[in-house]
Amino acid sequence: MNKFNYFNPKSLKEIWELKEKYPDSWYIAGGTDLMVKIKNREIKPSTLISLRSIPELSVIKTEDVISIGSLTTITDLINHTKLASLFPILIQAAKMIGSPQIRNVATIGGNLCNCSPCADTALPLLVLEARAILTNSKGSREVPLNEFFLGPAKSCLNQTEILTQIHIDKSSSNFQSTFLKKGRVRMDLAIASVAVLLEMKEKTCLQARIAAGSVAPVPLRLYQVEELFQNSIITSEMIKEAQKIALNSISPITDVRSTDVYRREIIGVFIKQAIQELLG
Amino acid sequence: MKKEINFVLNDSEVTIAVETHKRLIDILRGPLNLHGTREGCGEGECGACTVIVDSRAVNSCLYPAIEVEGKKVITIEGLLNRGNQLSAIQKAFVEKGGIQCGFCTPGMIMSTKALLDSNPNPTDEEIRNTLVGNLCRCTGYVQIIDSVKLAANTLKKSK
Ligand SMILES: Cc1cc2nc3c(=O)[nH]c(=O)nc-3n(C[C@H](O)[C@H](O)[C@H](O)COP(=O)(O)OP(=O)(O)OC[C@H]3O[C@@H](n4cnc5c(N)ncnc54)[C@H](O)[C@@H]3O)c2cc1C
Ligand code: FES
Ligand code: FES
Repeated sequence: MNKFNYFNPKSLKEIWELKEKYPDSWYIAGGTDLMVKIKNREIKPSTLISLRSIPELSVIKTEDVISIGSLTTITDLINHTKLASLFPILIQAAKMIGSPQIRNVATIGGNLCNCSPCADTALPLLVLEARAILTNSKGSREVPLNEFFLGPAKSCLNQTEILTQIHIDKSSSNFQSTFLKKGRVRMDLAIASVAVLLEMKEKTCLQARIAAGSVAPVPLRLYQVEELFQNSIITSEMIKEAQKIALNSISPITDVRSTDVYRREIIGVFIKQAIQELLG
Repeated sequence: MKKEINFVLNDSEVTIAVETHKRLIDILRGPLNLHGTREGCGEGECGACTVIVDSRAVNSCLYPAIEVEGKKVITIEGLLNRGNQLSAIQKAFVEKGGIQCGFCTPGMIMSTKALLDSNPNPTDEEIRNTLVGNLCRCTGYVQIIDSVKLAANTLKKSK
């Protein structure tokens, strides 16, 4: 390990002061991504500012807008019964993250801020049209999650900002949705993943929201595929057409986990499976 | 840079000055002289370094030492009963062959303890899901699942 200073501020105000004093510092939440990167010398921070000792950052509020504190651990997310009944797709994805040891410290905010195309909570949150609340000493701004991710390890957070909350409208809980993930083994990052949300009125699909993971530089909404289903009765021909459009919208790579070809294959299959599952 | 931290380790209060870049496993195996907790991969994959912090299993190789301030930490050394007797979980691993070379064992046992403390009657599926973050190169896992089941039964009877 390279040597670093480590601070545990107890308030947001203290964070801003530290950040001003150490502009090159990194924020750390659960550290399950950051500590691995430090160990592998991908990054060599001289100062870490921990967000773990600020209680207000792990608060979950379920009012008209559901607000999830960024420091909420994946385990606490899974154990929150109200959230589970409102947004089962989020809990479904959270349960597939790592091992109990990882989930006990990994946070939802870290999952998003790490900006990996395979981040498991990103896909449900994209189809739920969640918004990220970004805060620094000057105030807060709200960013739709699909504008938050700019590339691998690159978000729209500026140097000083932290992600403080994730907001989801309660109305998003009225739709049916599902999440499918393929890993090599039970505990693994996704080779590919898909989240689908459908707003149905009897047999007609009023609105579809579809997102895919590990197949582009960022977790991706597939808007062109969604348009196809809008205000229509979904047929098997339509699903075939959707699979074709999806394959043209993604740009998977080959890496240690999988080949680009296999990733394409999975996305096609998952889109079909997810829609069939939701249509029953 | 060094910083003084206070925490409860295996039921005893500890005050120690730690270098700010050290991980929990570094201070356990280093200045605190507890060698039961193992380091395998050092990146959260193998679970050999598993300890319990505030009732939850965590990878001590990813846990900044400073973050245990004010918390309760249990390591494999904390499981021994009075008179250095092995605890029920440890005995069950010995009896069912859940321990061979022993490298993974402290981590397996800490994960098992965290599970049984919160769920005394786990199903096979729940046991497997709990141990996904603990790798074993020797046993083939069947004996480990059997060990956890035996431990659960013994603990239930002793209550
Ligand atoms: C063995 C293992 C298995 C894993 N399996 C999965 C898996 O199945 N699925 C999955 O999606 N991920 C997985 N991960 C990755 C990781 O655990 C998750 O991405 C986790 O949610 C990261 O959260 P954290 O709190 O640990 O982030 P950290 O490591 O603390 O932070 C990650 C990054 O985000 C920044 N950051 C964190 N919080 C904030 C904030 N609030 N504001 C601003 N910046 C912030 C940090 O500076 C850092 O750059 C795995 C990791 C390991 C080691
Ligand atoms: S040494 Fe910590 S998980 Fe492998
Ligand atoms: S007993 Fe040897 S690694 Fe598990």
